[in-house]
Amino acid sequence: MSIWNYVVTAHKPTNVTHSCVGNFTGPQELNLIVAKCTRIEIHLLTPQGLQAMLDVPIYGRIATLELFRPHGETQDLLFVATERYKFCVLQWDAEAAEVITRAMGDVSDRIGRPTDNGQIGIIDPDCRLIGLHLYDGLFKVIPFDNKGQLKEAFNIRLEELQVLDIKFLYGCPRPTIVVLYQDNKDARHVKTYEVTLKDKDFVEGPWSQNNLDNGADLLIPVPPPLCGVLIIGEETIVYCSASAFKAIPIRPSITRAYGRVDADGSRYLLGDHNGLLHLLVITHEREKVTGLKIELLGETSVASSISYLDNAVVFVGSSYGDSQLIKLNLHPDAKGSYVEVLERYVNLGPIVDFCVVDLERQGQGQVVTCSGAYKDGSLRIVRNGIGINEQASVELQGIKGMWSLRSASDDPYDTFLVVSFISETRILAMNLEDELEETEIEGFYSNVQTLFCHDAIYDQLVQVTSTSVRLVSSTSRELRHEWFAPAGYSVNVATASATQVLLATGGGHLVYLEIGDGVLTEVKNAQLEYDISCLDINPIGDNPNYSQLAAVGMWTDISVRIFSLPDLNLITKEHLGGEIIPRSVLLCSFEGISYLLCALGDGHLLNFVLNTSNGELTDRKKVSLGTQPIALRTFSSKNATHVFAASDRPTVIYSSNKKLLYSNVNLKEVSYMCPFNSAAFPDSLAIAKEGELTIGTIDDIQKLHIRSIPLGEHARRICHQEQTRTFAICSLKYNQSSVEDSEMHFIRLLDDQTFEFISTYPLDQFECGCSILSCSFSDDSNVYYCVGTAYVMPEENEPTKGRILVFAVEDGKLQLIAEKETKGAVYSLNAFNGKLLAAINQKIQLYKWMLRDDGSRELQSECGHHGHILALYVQTRGDFIVVGDLMKSISLLIYKHEEGAIEERARDYNANWMSAVEILDDDIYLGAENNFNLFTVRKNSEGATDEERGRLEVVGEYHLGEFVNRFRHGSLVMRLPDSDVGQIPTVIFGTVNGVIGVIASLPHEQYAFLEMLQTNLRKIIKGVGGLSHEQWRSFYNEKKTVDAKNFLDGDLIESFLDLSRNRMEEISKAMNVPVDELMKRVEELTRLH
Amino acid sequence: MEGGSTASPPFDASNPTAGSSGGASKFLANLPSRGLLSSTILSSNPGGMRVYICDHDTSPPEDQLIRTNQTNILIRSLMLKNQKGDIKDGKGTSSNQGSRKRAAEKALDKAAGKKAMSSTQLGASQEATSRVLDKDLQSLTVERLRALLKERGLSDELIARLRGFNG
Repeated sequence: MSIWNYVVTAHKPTNVTHSCVGNFTGPQELNLIVAKCTRIEIHLLTPQGLQAMLDVPIYGRIATLELFRPHGETQDLLFVATERYKFCVLQWDAEAAEVITRAMGDVSDRIGRPTDNGQIGIIDPDCRLIGLHLYDGLFKVIPFDNKGQLKEAFNIRLEELQVLDIKFLYGCPRPTIVVLYQDNKDARHVKTYEVTLKDKDFVEGPWSQNNLDNGADLLIPVPPPLCGVLIIGEETIVYCSASAFKAIPIRPSITRAYGRVDADGSRYLLGDHNGLLHLLVITHEREKVTGLKIELLGETSVASSISYLDNAVVFVGSSYGDSQLIKLNLHPDAKGSYVEVLERYVNLGPIVDFCVVDLERQGQGQVVTCSGAYKDGSLRIVRNGIGINEQASVELQGIKGMWSLRSASDDPYDTFLVVSFISETRILAMNLEDELEETEIEGFYSNVQTLFCHDAIYDQLVQVTSTSVRLVSSTSRELRHEWFAPAGYSVNVATASATQVLLATGGGHLVYLEIGDGVLTEVKNAQLEYDISCLDINPIGDNPNYSQLAAVGMWTDISVRIFSLPDLNLITKEHLGGEIIPRSVLLCSFEGISYLLCALGDGHLLNFVLNTSNGELTDRKKVSLGTQPIALRTFSSKNATHVFAASDRPTVIYSSNKKLLYSNVNLKEVSYMCPFNSAAFPDSLAIAKEGELTIGTIDDIQKLHIRSIPLGEHARRICHQEQTRTFAICSLKYNQSSVEDSEMHFIRLLDDQTFEFISTYPLDQFECGCSILSCSFSDDSNVYYCVGTAYVMPEENEPTKGRILVFAVEDGKLQLIAEKETKGAVYSLNAFNGKLLAAINQKIQLYKWMLRDDGSRELQSECGHHGHILALYVQTRGDFIVVGDLMKSISLLIYKHEEGAIEERARDYNANWMSAVEILDDDIYLGAENNFNLFTVRKNSEGATDEERGRLEVVGEYHLGEFVNRFRHGSLVMRLPDSDVGQIPTVIFGTVNGVIGVIASLPHEQYAFLEMLQTNLRKIIKGVGGLSHEQWRSFYNEKKTVDAKNFLDGDLIESFLDLSRNRMEEISKAMNVPVDELMKRVEELTRLH
Repeated sequence: MEGGSTASPPFDASNPTAGSSGGASKFLANLPSRGLLSSTILSSNPGGMRVYICDHDTSPPEDQLIRTNQTNILIRSLMLKNQKGDIKDGKGTSSNQGSRKRAAEKALDKAAGKKAMSSTQLGASQEATSRVLDKDLQSLTVERLRALLKERGLSDELIARLRGFNG
């Protein structure tokens, strides 16, 4: 790989951090707004359900999200503050459909200790000010003026240093905050303060309450008429106001999220750390609180946000599992639950570990993640492209074409599958046993190749061969009429609709026939100057049986032409350029836009937007789909039309947001495809591939496919073993039922196809799995799973004891072959020169695999290396060892065979707290650290002095904005050796927010080109809320902020493709590169993920 | 924030309208509804949401680019005290620090005169600091400010708070 890296998101964050409900997009429109760390999703509530509107990227990690309505406004504004101390106030401009910036600013202070408990951002219910608690001991106020405009912010000293929560109280004449804090004796109290804007200071508030529940962690302000605040503890819930105090005990739980149900604040939904949903009710009489009641409603994902939407439907956002849409039923179900899950929204976060495998052995990587936490833990199988679920297949060699036919015009299902070979045509049909069986259509020629078939009106079928067009009754299956090619000419290509046939014979003759009841009429004959290579009359107008346009691809001048029907007048001629003839043309329509697709003999595809009224072709685009000729065909799936491009790299072309997208199909090579919607196999496709005909259904049309394997426990490490076709995981199960929360740790073996647990090895009490590896050793042909563990004792700061366990898989069972005690936690295990390299607390230790006299095996310590704080992440390459330290960034060690010793070769002297490392190539290492940055360092072997050689030079820096838990070499896409993208090495990463990303090392020329594009894009694509892209991507930690270098933001670069043509042209002009060239280069990059 | 009006009447737990099927049922009656999400088909888009590409200017109106008042809290408090002292003393413009702000603040400060240092103390320290601009004060380390405060005889409590803040 190289130092020039391109970072792009393959799977966006799915961890829901915040959600709120209000009238954002219009005074009458109710919206659900969901924050997923760096993105904001806007949904609209309609009588029919939740309608997704917009996914808004934010150049920052969202720390707080609040809707509010300043005086005089008819709709809500959105307040967003980011972790890097920027804030903005956003407003929806319905007319322009744009998010506009009402205000923004930087709320950082030069001095100040960032709060430990996260940032707090709150808005006074009477919109007098915005309050922020970002640094210990400081409360920042951004006042509103009476026109709803923001004024200069100022800080107020807050006496309480350990703040747990701050909220504004409702119904106070002066803005009043209630502060929940912990004192230096660890007791918790609440206190109120009034903010006096004139003095820029606090005044003691109306009340306070000392010595609350020790677990009190959350404040819920209660709106008028009741006012006051609810204080949610772990064992009690307290209602507090100047005049009232009510408390109830609750079952011990940690409340993670709340949602207000009623506008008057009498009911709240509380979600706890076990995913239990409770209803908290404030009972009241004559605006006086009389008591509190709490009722268990049921179970959801562990909630991070709860938003009551409408009509008993609630959005439950989750960081640890799938977010959900639930309904609160008035009556409990059989299990006593009032909660009905209506919908789940996939969340991969937190991705704690993952591995890249090729389960189907197709040369395409799949990512298997350890996702979720606590009870919501799961494995997720993430793969790119569309899968075909095979339902039946037969061996058939030499297929030259396929068409499905119905037995009657009004039959909803296809009956026949016509399969054409070089010198015969065979008809397959479903028999009563739902098996494909050969049959006959008497009126068809069966001893010649069929060029085209189609259903026709009046219960007829059309067959085109090289000599004639045959019209056959689909009921009697007998020939009704036949049209013969003129003597001396044979039909080369043909196409048909239900009422039309268009064919081309040698000599450039184009013949147009119309189909009547038992009659074929030659309507028009045109002579073109060259031979015709392909044709299409797929109806895209209002009449599904009749096309008014014909698309024709030509030999010799390499053009595609549009003719009108029935008169065969040429209306458009488009030269394709180059020397490759068009092999397949298709007229199609997606989302109301008509297109002409034209596939070339070399695997390229051109597409044009087609104006159906004047035949004009615009917006020409060219993409490379494969290397072999492509055959295009439409098909339907879930009521939408898509195009299947059969070639050596089969692709589905579909449209999303009025943009054509290409998703590869997970099949090796497909020569022909036709939809085959039979009663037995509804919505299926018939696919001809090497020597085989397959009937299968197609996955949902989307780019990434995710399969969930719920575990009910938290998987923390995963590893695949090719030889035994198994996965092994380290997992932990929380035991919620007992009084004391306890956890049990396991090593589990899973089948790599079914993902079922096939064997389990329980770990000792307090022992947890830290690392797992599949490897083999020198002088031993067996393959083993090695597991590193730690005994996490409650009284110890760092584990002082652990084990390395070596398992073999025998008869589908984990067999413990050897174990070795260690003096600390085994954070990492690597296969190293036929030995085992372990990272144990501050030490790197190498073990040999020794054969004892009795034939048993054991791990024997060979050598080690001290000098780390905690060696958490280790990667190896040859004799080199790269260590990611808890606090001391990256260091490079080398194993010296002769001396049997490990020595330090170089280190990065920065104080980065590492979260993952990977070796990009011999000299360049990649690191991720806990301030959400990525960086690369380079070994300096050429250095003049020892000092220089001993220093890893930082060569790349970038703010990813995501906490990376793991890097793995590999790719999510099929790597074709002949494609440009196939040559680009990539690393995949997984993050806490559920992001799967790709880091691709580019050649310098390409990097420089894209860097220029990125610079130009920054001028066109603006950060929402006025946030700067340059600042967002700058490397940032407590010590320094420096511009990103040697990393490019692929997400920004790829959004080039979403720009309007005018914007693209602006960039094209600025860069002096044609738009098509830019599009081609960016589209290529999208193939990386 | 929740906006709009709810169609259902405010919930009253004492109202026994709900069924007797136990537990939470009686509390789940009359959930707010505006007629949205009434269909059982709640499927949101399968094809992914439209990604917002923002190609218009997003800088805020000029006066809505918000900054924080750079006056250090200590200095502000110092100035407040100072000013309170001034008012007591009847000295209008003894020092030029933050004079712009002062005119506005003076009016408010009349009432809250506690913790103000005596005029003699103020006078004693005047020599050293009265002509120090507030910019200069900002460049001082917390240590120096602390010393300065002490010099001016500010209460130990404030200094303790300062210490806490710094630690």
